[in-house]
Amino acid sequence: MREQDAYKDLSDLFRVEDNTLAAEPFTRQVMGRVRQQKLMRRAVVGGLGLIGAGIAAMQLPQLFAEWAGLEKPLADALATAPTELSTAAISQINAAATGNPMWIAIAAGAAFCVFAVSAFERA
Amino acid sequence: MRSDPDLAQAAARGNEAAFAELVRRHQGKVRGMARRLAGSDAPGDDIAQVTFLTAWQKISTYAGGTFSSWICAICWREFLQWRRRQKIEIEFDETAQIIPFDRSADQSEMRIDLTRALETLSEAQRVCVVLCAATGLTHQEAADVTGWPLGTVKSHVLRGVALLRTRLENANVA
Repeated sequence: MREQDAYKDLSDLFRVEDNTLAAEPFTRQVMGRVRQQKLMRRAVVGGLGLIGAGIAAMQLPQLFAEWAGLEKPLADALATAPTELSTAAISQINAAATGNPMWIAIAAGAAFCVFAVSAFERA
Repeated sequence: MRSDPDLAQAAARGNEAAFAELVRRHQGKVRGMARRLAGSDAPGDDIAQVTFLTAWQKISTYAGGTFSSWICAICWREFLQWRRRQKIEIEFDETAQIIPFDRSADQSEMRIDLTRALETLSEAQRVCVVLCAATGLTHQEAADVTGWPLGTVKSHVLRGVALLRTRLENANVA
């Protein structure tokens, strides 16, 4: 005998109660909220993606300028002191990364996008 | 008719119609469970709605098995969150007290029915009876959903069902 058979009479009573609940209005409400969430997710992810792309695009000229500035010290270091190449390059890159808020903006944009996707996207 | 796992797979691919069919099929059971756990209809329906919204978000994590058991596990977690927000602190153990529900005057004059008979049980018994007798989970599934030991669930179901029958017989309902 299945364990549920011991209280089949009660289960039938509960089922009768549950069957009286109207399915359609509830289903419509749930699906309405599902669609609302979907739209909200698209708006947030899309909006943050656009903002991130905009910030990144605005910083591109500055990024190229930094790269151009990086070439000369690197070339000098290669010519004069090959053994100091790695030290000089690292210090230049660090200076570019820490001295320029562009990187912070790009990282913030990326973090926003990742947060938005992980918060709203279905697992 | 498509099976629950088929519909769940389709829903995981973003098919809203398939998910709507799942809601249609299981809403009675989930709403009944949420209403009985919460002790009244409006909060119960809210819990059931949130349950289905969570199910939609997590549908891709459904890995077969009975859909009922999966959705009831979500409903149970949503109920616990709702109860935490209500700031009601009740220990789920053998010494759990009977939880009185706020009843309006006209409701209290109504004859004792199944729902009200259920509310006279201790909370642990009520939870186990709702999950097993009303929702149709096996004892093992109820133990998995609640995280309680299987023996505890069995004992609460046994005692709860016996008490419920007594209450219903006294009220001439059963």
